[in-house]
Amino acid sequence: MDVDKCIACGLCAEKCPKKVDDLYNESIAKRKAIYVPYSQAVPLKYSIDASQCIYLTKGKCGACEKNCPAGAINFKDVEKTISINVGGMILATGFDSYDPSSLDYFNYATCDDVVTSLEFERILSATGPYQGHLLRPSSKKGPKDAGKPPAKIAWLQCVGSRDINRSGHRYCSSVCCMYAVKQAVMAQEHSNTPLDCAIFYMDMRTQGKDFDRYYENARKNGVRFVNTRVHTIKRETGSDNLILRYVEENGTAREEVYDMVVLSTGLVINGATVDLAQRLGVTLGEDNFTKASCFAPVSTSVDGIYACGVLTGPKDIPHSVMEASAAACAATVGLAPSRGTLIRHEETPEERNIDRQRPRIGVFVCNCGINIGGIVRVPEVATYAATLPDVTYVEENLFSCSQDIQDKMTQAITEQGLNRVVIAACTPRTHEGLFQQTLINAGLNKYLVEMANIRNQDSWVHSDDPDQATKKAKDLVRMAVAKVRLASPLTQSPLGVSRSALVIGGGLTGMISALMLARQGFPVHLIEKSDILGGNARLLNSTWQGESVANRLEKLTDDINAEERIQVHLCSSIKHVEGFVGNFTTEIAGNGESETIKHGVAILATGAKESKPAEYLYGEHSGVVTNLELDAMIRTDDHRLRKAENIVFIQCVGSRDANRPYCSKVCCTHTIKNALALLEKNPEVRIFILYRDIRTYGQRESLYLEARQKGVIFSKYELQKKPVVIAAGQCLEVLFHDPVLDGNIAVSADLVCLATAIESHHDASLAQFFKVPMDQDGWLLEAHQKLRPVEFATEGVFLCGMAHYPKPIEESISQALAATSRALTVLTRDQIMVGGVVSRINPELCCGCQGCINVCPFGAITFNLDRQAAEVNAALCKGCGACAAACPSEAPMLMGFNNEQLYAEIEMALCS
Amino acid sequence: MTSQEFQPKIIAFVCNWCAYGAADLAGVSRMQYPPNVRLIRVMCSATISAHHILKAFQQGADGILVGG
Repeated sequence: MDVDKCIACGLCAEKCPKKVDDLYNESIAKRKAIYVPYSQAVPLKYSIDASQCIYLTKGKCGACEKNCPAGAINFKDVEKTISINVGGMILATGFDSYDPSSLDYFNYATCDDVVTSLEFERILSATGPYQGHLLRPSSKKGPKDAGKPPAKIAWLQCVGSRDINRSGHRYCSSVCCMYAVKQAVMAQEHSNTPLDCAIFYMDMRTQGKDFDRYYENARKNGVRFVNTRVHTIKRETGSDNLILRYVEENGTAREEVYDMVVLSTGLVINGATVDLAQRLGVTLGEDNFTKASCFAPVSTSVDGIYACGVLTGPKDIPHSVMEASAAACAATVGLAPSRGTLIRHEETPEERNIDRQRPRIGVFVCNCGINIGGIVRVPEVATYAATLPDVTYVEENLFSCSQDIQDKMTQAITEQGLNRVVIAACTPRTHEGLFQQTLINAGLNKYLVEMANIRNQDSWVHSDDPDQATKKAKDLVRMAVAKVRLASPLTQSPLGVSRSALVIGGGLTGMISALMLARQGFPVHLIEKSDILGGNARLLNSTWQGESVANRLEKLTDDINAEERIQVHLCSSIKHVEGFVGNFTTEIAGNGESETIKHGVAILATGAKESKPAEYLYGEHSGVVTNLELDAMIRTDDHRLRKAENIVFIQCVGSRDANRPYCSKVCCTHTIKNALALLEKNPEVRIFILYRDIRTYGQRESLYLEARQKGVIFSKYELQKKPVVIAAGQCLEVLFHDPVLDGNIAVSADLVCLATAIESHHDASLAQFFKVPMDQDGWLLEAHQKLRPVEFATEGVFLCGMAHYPKPIEESISQALAATSRALTVLTRDQIMVGGVVSRINPELCCGCQGCINVCPFGAITFNLDRQAAEVNAALCKGCGACAAACPSEAPMLMGFNNEQLYAEIEMALCS
Repeated sequence: MTSQEFQPKIIAFVCNWCAYGAADLAGVSRMQYPPNVRLIRVMCSATISAHHILKAFQQGADGILVGG
């Protein structure tokens, strides 16, 4: 397939006689041997499945080649080997969903209505096999079957995860609890009738940001959570219903009938990745994840090769996206000196001045093969276009986007002296950039082109009504002509960039970020409010993998002190911030002096703190300590630890309750790590861990397994039935209810360790200084929780570490690298371009009400007291036009979409 | 369709980043819908004020959709 020629008309797939399983839809649906992998594929191009194509396998057919209007099919295409010289490599090979076929007790292979979570994901999707209708696969064997909706669905957690018995995967896949809750909630939303959803789980691991809230809401909305592992799924005789057998917490055997069962399958590294790693010499650890130190989470055993995503361990989307940026940072540190050396610049002709010229509009109507021309009567549209005011040139094209037509268009613009252009073709969302480039090549300002979408929004959606489609095409062309008539050239002007960074917070995260920025070649100011670098890391003993935090911190401090590009400001705080991306001016104060710093970017790494509990006799009895205090006792070899007989840990102290409805994420691992350290010191000590859900997600599960093997006693408690701690002289009496024994237990403890919540510093002034939002729990709120995890809507400001949400060291370091990576996208530029589609306020019309300032989501508008008018900072404006709508006197004008243009479009849309 | 049948004129103001993209995707998926609607692309649905809506009604629109 020649992707340059393919116009994605879909004729090839329509004519292709070969139907095959659609792997994207988990084989629940069929597709053709020539296909688009999925509907949002970028670029939107067809490809041939060589293993299925009749021509490529048997030498006959060629229907696609005969029917392709663009001549894009090339059966002679062969695999090519290309050599590229690179300075670094990043492995982002992803994962496979665990195949549960071999688990005979689940009957996945024999029951249609037992599906994997990925299959269920497709069933719920609008682009899936049932167009988003929730249906039982057993009732939908062919496209003609109407299908029946399920009334009762079960999710079984930990299929192929936390299972050393059958799958051999002892790790937790990290993401399945959350996706099961999401699927249950979405299934209820998709169902027209009440839907009974039950999730059978071992521990609910919803440790991510805002995940616990979602879980609690699902519970409130009727999703049932059953704490057990289902041992058998069987089909009911004579129906497709499924019988689930399981044992309740108190030992009662139960049977329940469901319409559908979703297996929450885990994440698996596939064989192809293992082969690739072998060829590259990259060592994979147990379970085929890369082996990396917690201090270098995206590194591999080979220098210059980095990894991200599930390959480094099971993880969700935000963490994977973060790691992707982190790997980019790590891979480019060594390449910094050669940055920009391979850039090529394009020569463009000088822009023609069209001031005071009467509009001369050229209209190019595209047939898009038969995509438009097969429905819309293109010659009629072209003839009509010629009658519109100021249209001086009209041309009909077969494919407007093809290179030869582009060249002809450039020529026509120049020869005909056109100063406005309308392209009636496909969508500006994919092709506006291309046609803007055509205008640039013809010496015209790129904002003088308008597209009339007569394909995606006309011929494709009214294919059964050529008359109406043709009428609509004429309307769309008339609207576009009216709009472009009123268009004026827009300019973008360069603005210099202060190529230095400000990192706020001198904890481990801020230190890593500062060091990386410096090693990428940029000066850094590192601000720390206390008199020493290190933050919370100074209180920690080891990472979950057992590496010493103190050693790493010492080395890091030395590196920072030795780095000339880093200026450390201890005992300092921020007093004032002004400016915007590329051009911030910040005033800092420390040691009685103040200093003004100019910087292009800011990284917020202000961390969080361990909360001090007001329960379980903390602060009243010396035998009650927090995990960080226990760390110190272990470090200093406190005598109380050696002679202790019983030690009790209580989890979720101050987390996951009404005050702090979030999980502090690190405490389960921290507790178990400390429990193992205590056993090492004193193998005779008996350790009890009272928990709500053990959340040793990912590969940390191995610690949980080890602790249980070594005899640590785990007992689950409910929020309504918290343990009770009573003073008993030097000792403490801990009372709790064990659900498995279904009895009350009293333990005489020498020490009670509380896994206390991590809480935000609630530093509202920092958020205000940089105009960034803070969520209800006090965590800084990123621009997009999944896809922009270290950025803010405010450009040039980034976040990392626990200021974002509680997280372990390796995740904080990933985030520090990621924030650095994103900051480099600003710092590596000499200048930023501002302007284009932005708002401008006419001071003559501004009445000074400041309504626009309140509605601007980007803080781009300020009030100029001298001129008594609001002003837009083009560097901050994103061109949403909210100000234009809010203004009572239409003073703001969104360039390229101004009210005159919108009114003209409205008028032209309705005048026929 | 008979000549007497009421054919409404609908104006849709659609956000470039979501609703306009969705309308494109409806085309990619070849979903069919009545040809009575004319889409006007805006950079954010927040830019649509009462003025635009009144203007459209004034010009003869029977219905208005703001998608964003």
